[in-house]
Amino acid sequence: MGTPGMRPLLAAALAGLLALGATACGSEQTAQAEPEAGSDKKITVYSGRSESLVKPVLEDFQKASGITVQVRYGDTAQMAAQLQEEGNRSPADVFLAQDAGALGSVAGQGLFAKLPNEVLDKVPAAYRDEDGEWVGVTGRVRTMAYNTDQVPKGDLPESVFELTEPEWKGKVGIAPTNGSFQAFITAMRVEHGDERTEDFLAGLKANDAQIREGNAPIVADVNSGMLASGLVNHYYVYELAKEKGTTVDALKAKNHFFPNGDIGSLVNVSGVGVLDKADDDPDVRKFVDYLLGKGAQTYFAEQIYEYPLINSVVTAPGLPSLVSLNAPDIDLNDLDDLRTTIEMIKESGLV
Amino acid sequence: MAELRITDVRKAYDRIQALSGVDLTVRSGTLVAVLGPSGAGKTTLLRCIAGFETPDAGEIRIDGRRVATRGASVPPERRRIAVVPQEGALFPHLSVLGNVTYGLGRSARRAGRAATVLELVGLAGFEGRMPHHLSGGQQQRVAVARALAPHPPVVLLDEPFNALDAALRAELRRDVRQALRADGATAVLVTHDQAEALSVAEEIAVMRDGRIVQSGPPELLYREPADPWVAGFVGEAVWLPATADGDRAHTPLGTIRLTPVEGRLPTGPMRVLLRPEQITLAPPGDPDAIAATVVRRDFYGHDAMLVLRLTDGTHVTARIFDPAALPPAADDEVALRVRGTARMFPPSARPGATPSHP
Amino acid sequence: MPTLTPRRARRFLPRPALACAAVLAVGVALIPLVYLGIRVGQAGWGRIADELFTARTGDLAGRSVALAGVVTAACTVLGVAAAFLVTRTDLPARRVFGVLAALPLAVPSYVAAFAWVSLAQGFEGFWAAALVLTLVSYPYVYLPVAAALVGVDPAQEEVARSLGRGPWQTAVGVTLRQVRPAVAAGALLVALYVLSDFGAVSILRVDVFTRAVFTAINLGFDRTGALVLATVLVALSALVLLAEQLSRRRAARYARLGGGAPRPPTRLRLGRLRWPAVLGLAGVLGAALGVPAVSLVRWFGEGVSRPGSLGELADAAGNSLGVALLGTVLTVVLALPVGLLSARVPGLLAVALDRLAYLSHALPGLVIGLSLVFFGINVAYPLYQSVWLLALAYAALFLPLAVAAVSAAAAQAPPGLEEVARSLGRRRAYVLRTVTLPLAAPGIGAGAALVFLTCMKELPATLLLRPTGMNTLATGLWTHTSVAAYAAAAPYAALLVLIAAMPTWWLSARTGVLTRTGG
Repeated sequence: MGTPGMRPLLAAALAGLLALGATACGSEQTAQAEPEAGSDKKITVYSGRSESLVKPVLEDFQKASGITVQVRYGDTAQMAAQLQEEGNRSPADVFLAQDAGALGSVAGQGLFAKLPNEVLDKVPAAYRDEDGEWVGVTGRVRTMAYNTDQVPKGDLPESVFELTEPEWKGKVGIAPTNGSFQAFITAMRVEHGDERTEDFLAGLKANDAQIREGNAPIVADVNSGMLASGLVNHYYVYELAKEKGTTVDALKAKNHFFPNGDIGSLVNVSGVGVLDKADDDPDVRKFVDYLLGKGAQTYFAEQIYEYPLINSVVTAPGLPSLVSLNAPDIDLNDLDDLRTTIEMIKESGLV
Repeated sequence: MAELRITDVRKAYDRIQALSGVDLTVRSGTLVAVLGPSGAGKTTLLRCIAGFETPDAGEIRIDGRRVATRGASVPPERRRIAVVPQEGALFPHLSVLGNVTYGLGRSARRAGRAATVLELVGLAGFEGRMPHHLSGGQQQRVAVARALAPHPPVVLLDEPFNALDAALRAELRRDVRQALRADGATAVLVTHDQAEALSVAEEIAVMRDGRIVQSGPPELLYREPADPWVAGFVGEAVWLPATADGDRAHTPLGTIRLTPVEGRLPTGPMRVLLRPEQITLAPPGDPDAIAATVVRRDFYGHDAMLVLRLTDGTHVTARIFDPAALPPAADDEVALRVRGTARMFPPSARPGATPSHP
Repeated sequence: MPTLTPRRARRFLPRPALACAAVLAVGVALIPLVYLGIRVGQAGWGRIADELFTARTGDLAGRSVALAGVVTAACTVLGVAAAFLVTRTDLPARRVFGVLAALPLAVPSYVAAFAWVSLAQGFEGFWAAALVLTLVSYPYVYLPVAAALVGVDPAQEEVARSLGRGPWQTAVGVTLRQVRPAVAAGALLVALYVLSDFGAVSILRVDVFTRAVFTAINLGFDRTGALVLATVLVALSALVLLAEQLSRRRAARYARLGGGAPRPPTRLRLGRLRWPAVLGLAGVLGAALGVPAVSLVRWFGEGVSRPGSLGELADAAGNSLGVALLGTVLTVVLALPVGLLSARVPGLLAVALDRLAYLSHALPGLVIGLSLVFFGINVAYPLYQSVWLLALAYAALFLPLAVAAVSAAAAQAPPGLEEVARSLGRRRAYVLRTVTLPLAAPGIGAGAALVFLTCMKELPATLLLRPTGMNTLATGLWTHTSVAAYAAAAPYAALLVLIAAMPTWWLSARTGVLTRTGG
């Protein structure tokens, strides 16, 4: 049948169908982990973070260490699903994720190895897994992007809860299917309780919050004036400026950081976890160390305007420091009750 | 050359019995026509012989070798039985040469077998043409050449001349018959056209409702049909009420001699069969002539059919061959006489179906 | 000496080799369903009930069905009208229109939706999505109907005219009725496609089932919930298939009878409707092709981001071509036995296999992708993250497209020819190679072209299954749009549309709309 290479495929398909019924019944965990011995100068990274953001760091690491990095890019959430489906036979050594929730869901399946303390200790406790199965790499702050023509500085809210009031009707964009929004809602539940959070969501809905599919469209619409404001992560204005070939100062869209530790300025992280099978791989360890090293952290801070999580690197100029933000005191490990948050968002009618 | 022997073959599709016990033997090297109305099971029989269908019961042997029996069957490609389907079914993407050599091995191709068979069907030099550039008759000839090319011992022809006009059909029939003879193949021709069967076949098997009801040489079938239905199917029939008396019968057309049936000559009420050509115009002064009135005349050139009313009101049909004389017209009074003998049937026998005039 | 082959088995299963191959091939399309069954089974009844028996589920299902219904109806009207105008009227420049009308098929729904959103402020919601989906999927109806209209025997129309019917009455009562099977086949593909589409509905924010499936994964990392919801899509496509089966009735037997070369069809004079028709068709093409084109140019002009290099772009294009080609070959090879079976041994088995091949067609690419991850990890590990498994995913996704083409094409090679060939001493395999396939080749080629361009556009399964490090045009487009680098994304989108346009062009050319006769 056709090309010679087709034969093994068809044979496999046949074998597969016959075997499917037999192996199907919950056997995905039965596969043995591949034994991993010493350094083979090669690691496989699953990156839920965009190629344009992390590629330079990976290339630098490869140059510095001589270790070949195979990267697979994808959507963070879909990659988490893929990792769960792959189980112990995953080709991945490392999962670099956009947000803590995805790392938590993979850790929840018992697929991550516990990281050594000397790695974990580089990062404040709030920005890593309490069981040590993943660690934050960069911080991103929830902000309110606003159009300077439409929202005078003096009208900016002190607290995110003000956005349910009548003067903001139809003026706030949100992305309820986005992981960071959902983490923010979870944090609100931890800080203020389920009842108040439900009221907030219902208030947004009643206030005709404008729904977008992600943060980037919100910022684009705020900049163009289609939206007056929107709840996003802080770095989207930088991405927009970069695409427009200009600076953040030249944009109509600006970040507003909620003051006084308001939950609206939650700090979330992107992070990294090491798959169980790569636990003893020195190459992988080097990679994680590199991500938390001065070079990579400086790159994240200066080039993509994210918050470095180690002490020795400072925040990019123009961004308020984590300390000055007086960010809400939330332990990211407390944000693991996603199901209830999803239920609430679903019930609010926002999705 | 091979003998084809079919014994008690049965075949049903769902609940419809297409063949209900067919027995037929085709002697080596002869051409047998299987004649029957549509729906009689002719094509199913042919498909069973070719191996496209497996009989539910019975067996088919070629030269004593069993090729099909209940639940087991030699696949068509190993039977060496060639088929000429209706409308030719040439491979449209292959040239005439490609069609004719399709069933040939390499050595036969080199030996020029294609040219030989194409010459046999009168299409020498047509090798490079594509089927859609051929006329219907030429396509049929290529189909015959393609079937004969691998020297099959048995050739099956499924109403192969159907789609052609009358003149072309007669010519092609002759040529095909000649080609089959030249190749010495045993052939079965399936057709619903009795003129075709009578003219081309050495033997005819008449089929009805999934059975062979009579088989034999064309003349015998025409003259001595086994039942009124066969009588009507193989030719035009004139039915007369009669009273048999020894070797004669009294009919509205006078007293007619009877053809003996298996030596018996029953007496009493009967029905007798005449062919229209047995009824002729009587010469003037014939004392036994019967008077009749012409009701209708259908003129065909080489002959004419007259529908006549006898004095007792009976209608009969006569075929008049007399190109010199002007045939009688409607309302003319004529005198008739009967030639030859008549075949008799019991009075209750059902009247035959009247086939259309060829 | 030939021997007798026992045929007892064939009473129950005619042509066992073909039937086995067909079962195997449909098995590939069933991998996603088996996977769904396993995962949903593990979820347990409580969980299933929790997910499914909610007001929101009913709401989503209702909206999915409504969207599929509206788009299918609109595509049917638009596709049939366009096909009729270019094949059966004296429309000016009808050959140009004939080819252009098929090209929207080359535009991925996510590109079209994005183009509309960025051009028209506030363009979103149910009707927006219905419009965009109609514009990109009406060629599924247009192509087969145009081909059928070219092939319809004008004799019946002439009879209708001679019996006193007017030209328009004849067109509706006789001509269009004859092409009903082609309309139904196209409409089925549209309906299933709309159920499975995620790109357009997510950008235009219509809450339909696919979006709920994605949301479950993206919002909650909730694979199980997503898969439970996906079963509803299978149920919905079963309903669509049932409806189509009922609408078929005796439609397949409208084929032209008798021999002889078909005459070119007569053309209707449009008269005063001439220019309105031109404007209407031009408007549709402007919306379907012009809007994406303008948007891409604007993205490119307004942004400063650029693709890494021309080499990167060429590499992605090469990969796209490669995997799409491999997927196409595999899909067509698998479709051959299924299509041949339904053309040659029509019956319960053939109908069942044909319908089963369609059943997973409404599942979003993400679910198909996950199911192939499962299959690769547990069954075909050596193939995991190789192009072979990706090709297998394409086969699972697009088998119905190829099956429909093969069974229609196999009908072009009448079974009588195969019988003659066998009676000439040739085995089935030889006959298949020398008679059936050469005759069916053009029709199979058309199916292959359709599968190819659909593979080119596929994104979610490609993201999950591509070999690590391999970029295609679709993934490149995704990479750049996900960080709002639209100018960098534009060349990927443009190249994707251009490459997909080539087989589309060929598809419309082979329908016969380009023939000069009968003008």
